[in-house]
Amino acid sequence: MLKMNNINKVYQTEKVQTHALRDFNLEVNEGEFIAVTGPSGSGKTTFLNIAGMLEPYTGGQYLLDDVDVGTLSDNKRADLRNQKIGFIFQGFNLIPDLNLYENVEVPLRYRGIKSAERRRRIEDCLEKVGLASRAKHLPQQLSGGQQQRVAIARALAGEPRFLLADEPTGNLDSLMARQVMELLEQINREGATIIMVTHDSELARRAPRNIQVVDGQLADFTLYQNRSADSVVELASGA
Amino acid sequence: MILHYLDLSWRSLKRTPLISALMIAAIAVGIGITMTSLSVYHMMSMDPIPQKSDRLFQPQLNTMDDGQTWWTEDDLPYQITYNDAMNLYNAPIPERKVLSMRTGFSVHMNSSEVKPFLQGARVTGRDFFAMFDLDFVYGGTWSESQEREVVPVVVISTELNEKLFGGQNSVGKQIYLDDTSYEIVGVTEPWDIHIKYYDLNNGAFSNREEMFIPYSMIAAKELNSWGNTNGWKYQEINNYQDRLQSEQFWLQFWVELNSPEEEQEYREFLTAYLEEQGKRGRYSREKVQFALRDVNEWLDYNNVVSEDNRVLVGLSFMFLTVCLANILGLLLGKFLRRAPEVGVRRALGASKRQIFLQHLVEVSVLGLLGGLLGIGIAQLGLWGVRQTYSYYNALATMDLTMLLAAPSIAIGACIIAGLYPAWLVCRTTPAIYLKTQ
Repeated sequence: MLKMNNINKVYQTEKVQTHALRDFNLEVNEGEFIAVTGPSGSGKTTFLNIAGMLEPYTGGQYLLDDVDVGTLSDNKRADLRNQKIGFIFQGFNLIPDLNLYENVEVPLRYRGIKSAERRRRIEDCLEKVGLASRAKHLPQQLSGGQQQRVAIARALAGEPRFLLADEPTGNLDSLMARQVMELLEQINREGATIIMVTHDSELARRAPRNIQVVDGQLADFTLYQNRSADSVVELASGA
Repeated sequence: MILHYLDLSWRSLKRTPLISALMIAAIAVGIGITMTSLSVYHMMSMDPIPQKSDRLFQPQLNTMDDGQTWWTEDDLPYQITYNDAMNLYNAPIPERKVLSMRTGFSVHMNSSEVKPFLQGARVTGRDFFAMFDLDFVYGGTWSESQEREVVPVVVISTELNEKLFGGQNSVGKQIYLDDTSYEIVGVTEPWDIHIKYYDLNNGAFSNREEMFIPYSMIAAKELNSWGNTNGWKYQEINNYQDRLQSEQFWLQFWVELNSPEEEQEYREFLTAYLEEQGKRGRYSREKVQFALRDVNEWLDYNNVVSEDNRVLVGLSFMFLTVCLANILGLLLGKFLRRAPEVGVRRALGASKRQIFLQHLVEVSVLGLLGGLLGIGIAQLGLWGVRQTYSYYNALATMDLTMLLAAPSIAIGACIIAGLYPAWLVCRTTPAIYLKTQ
């Protein structure tokens, strides 16, 4: 479903070349819930951005549902992103001028979905994250946890096959983080494939599959189930 | 989607009211000044009779000896002699033609009700009204026999009729022009012309006449021209009869030619006429020379819109460009500050094209608001222009074309100013802002 073969990403400044990803290989299957861990600056977010087609890569091949992303135009990539990928960010990234309803509506408008269908989806998604009664509120009127739930509703509204979450609980306290995680697990059970970058070892432990990125490479590509995050390091094979 | 972009634009304007107000004010001032000069230029240069300007022609005849020059580009006098005017008027072709001349009278009613006043009048043929599409409220033009038999009849304008008779039907009533009583035979409708194209002698934008009398009054009343009289050689002129027979140019002549065939026929007629006049020894010329210019050619030939007007319009557009440069700077700041939101939108599926369009719609809204406010400023500017000279009353106005042009120019200008900022913001790599927002 998602396949990266020898992906490289080099940031070039005047004097310095920084290799954010080197020969990065990964295959993700339908319905997986993957936690991506790794030290700061290891390339986790770069991987996620490339997976979400938010950044170009400098080498290798990236196939999304057998489509070679590297051959697509910007418009085609935007369409593909809009139709198949939902994003959840650490900073929520809600648009402050738009109320919750309108925030959730954004990806649906870009997809050209008709008004009645948009309404149905938005109401369903806000209901799912428990914020249907606050549809007319502005983001700043909500707590951090609530804002992240809106961001999840926004990501879900497009009924994406992939949900890419970058530190979705990074700005939340532990109680709210747990609630958000439960929501992601529920979404995964309903069929969405989730790739979640996190620093939180407890949350990572809850994901059925853990991968670790170190110095732009996949340090561990083993499927773990019901193991502790600490054991990920111990079992790292460097594959 | 456009409606959605309009909604987003409105929200964006409300989010930064001060910057938005500054940009709108900058556009408004630029558009206001540009539209003030452009409106005057537009009114000066517009076709004064678009429905038939290509069918009305002013013949110019060279009835001077070879070697004589005139201060026109082709050495042709602007006007013609009385004899030529009469000959052309009495010619069999074309069907519709008029000679004309501006004169003036002291107007009074032979009563104490209306104080005598000096008023310009046009002495012309009975077809003048039909040729120049001047309709009547009451009555009509004088008859051929009245014209031929020098009957003192007059057609007055609605404005004069209002002044003298309170707007009542005055046909059949008498007014005095100097010491002669004239019977009113017609009252014309208001004549909305900005350029006095049929006689440019006293200025293209001077007031048109309020009274019209038959041309036969010229000789009968020995009327003097209130326009220009020019000669090219010395002639002893001791009385009015001498003047009528002289080679002085002091009359205007217009013909209506309704097809290229009629135009060709008239050209041939003029050639034959001038050859015949030459043979009679009126002048010594090897070749006949004349011109037949339609209304717009006539206005160009007379430089009705001066170079100064064009320079003024150019300068005002340069001022608009300066305003746009400021707007461009403000837009750059405003749009780039919004890059994080653009990053989110891109992540959610917006293409670069959609982001670009969204921002262009926003600058268009700015342009529209600035354009509308600019119309207000232009109205103020035009009011100021109208206070300078009375002939600007008809010129310093905005017609529908200019009213529509103002927001269009403003929107177009803002789109040009917004292209670079919009392009810059849509090129932003979304990933940069998603982590840091």
